[in-house]
Amino acid sequence: MPQSDTLISVRDVELSFGPKIIQQNVSFDLKRGSIFAVMGGSGCGKSTLLKSMIGLLPPTTGQILVGGEDYWAQNEHRRTQINHRFGVLFQSGALWSSMTVGENVALPLEMFTTQPPDVVRKLVEVKLGLVGMEQAIDLYPSEISGGMRKRAGLARAIALDPDILFFDEPSAGLDPITSARLDDLILTLRDGLGATIVIVSHELPSLFAIADDGIFLDARTHRPIAHGSPRTLRDNSSIPEVMAFMNRSSTIPTTDETKADRHV
Amino acid sequence: MRTKDLITDLWNAGPNALLIVGVVNFLIGAILAFVGLVELRRFAAEIYVTNLVGIACAREISAIMTAIIMAGRTGGAYAARISTMLGNEEIDALKVFGIPISGYILLPAILSLSLMMPLLYLYGTLIGIFGGFVVSMSMMDVSPMGYWMSTVNGVELREFAFGFVKAFFFGSFIALAACRVGLMAGRSAADVGIAATRAVVIGIVGIIAMDAVFAVMANALGI
Ligand SMILES: Nc1ncnc2c1ncn2[C@@H]1O[C@H](COP(=O)(O)OP(=O)(O)OP(=O)(O)O)[C@@H](O)[C@H]1O
Ligand SMILES: [Mg+2]
Repeated sequence: MPQSDTLISVRDVELSFGPKIIQQNVSFDLKRGSIFAVMGGSGCGKSTLLKSMIGLLPPTTGQILVGGEDYWAQNEHRRTQINHRFGVLFQSGALWSSMTVGENVALPLEMFTTQPPDVVRKLVEVKLGLVGMEQAIDLYPSEISGGMRKRAGLARAIALDPDILFFDEPSAGLDPITSARLDDLILTLRDGLGATIVIVSHELPSLFAIADDGIFLDARTHRPIAHGSPRTLRDNSSIPEVMAFMNRSSTIPTTDETKADRHV
Repeated sequence: MRTKDLITDLWNAGPNALLIVGVVNFLIGAILAFVGLVELRRFAAEIYVTNLVGIACAREISAIMTAIIMAGRTGGAYAARISTMLGNEEIDALKVFGIPISGYILLPAILSLSLMMPLLYLYGTLIGIFGGFVVSMSMMDVSPMGYWMSTVNGVELREFAFGFVKAFFFGSFIALAACRVGLMAGRSAADVGIAATRAVVIGIVGIIAMDAVFAVMANALGI
């Protein structure tokens, strides 16, 4: 594929917390306009990988190129500028607890745009409407449910219309209907805004439906063990861990560690 | 910085602390007067209790006691709040958006405590002197007006200025230390408790150490 198609390129990245290696030899290209799935068992380092892509955790080795620029080689000021292209939904939602849902979505707009307050308010309503949260605009994060927090976090992530979106388990804690609506929203964001989306998810049906590329991280070997779209991995992978994951099977012989995980 | 955050922090660091700061300083003033009167009586110098209470409160005790109270309630609260935000990934979210943490989280907290501490100190000193007055009225033979005049004559304004300046530095120190401890904390619920405790301990020890430095400096400068 031509170089210009690659928006983010992760090259031989190693992630660790102190001496504890989480993942190594992570390499993949994120194509413009694609929906990229990061898959793997719980605790394998999916959120950690996202952290290194959004500027929260420098990789121990390797490079992350964003639009051809070596992200971690830039100074903090430049990294912050690059970050303005990012919209991030954290696994926990990470809403600012001292602000209402509406204020959470409004803050980035107030900080980084010059819109007058009434326009900001309108925009906030629109963004919250996209995730079905307009009625919660004046509630505090402590007053809403986990799934609502997720959706509010999503509205905040897309507040500035970023062109690269990182969603850490957006559908965890959502009912099937809201979750399906979320898939539609993600496709709309991609097709309507031309956004590129990195999504961490365990929702297999949703992954099969929307993701067109992906990586599978293994917790035991601390390495990616498969690349490709979730559909391809489901149909063609011969790796036992991947097969078991994709087919929601608990019987495929895997390691003791993964078995233990599954029964917790 | 959001005005709303600043107002909340100002309120918590100021008006909300009036009761406890008042009670503690009143009792301290009362205790000083009581102990002072018993001793001074032996030298027939009871009236100098006004100087004792006034100077002790204005120069040292009110600033220190108020700072210790504020380290316990506000410093601990700041550290707990910030480390909770850290655990909730709220700080991470700010970083990713490129919203400066110093302006959004730290500035309202530090500003509030730095501004409110000197005011609380003044209030605390006056209450302390009043505590001494109440005890003196019941233990010695002096008119309220006489006690007041003796206080005004005995306690110079610069004692208040000295305490006022110290209180400002104590407040800034407590807030800075608490913010730092909060930001350095771990991310679990237990870490929040540890951060709060640490902020209080560092605050109290730091205040006392700073006060010692101030005392030496004041001595050298002849204040
Ligand atoms: N701050 C940290 N310090 C040390 N180790 C950490 C830290 N955060 C995460 N880890 C470790 O890194 C590993 C990967 O964590 P991560 O949160 O990336 O997992 P995950 O794949 O997102 O899991 P899940 O699907 O449950 O969200 C885990 O084994 C965890 O113990
Ligand atoms: Mg995770």
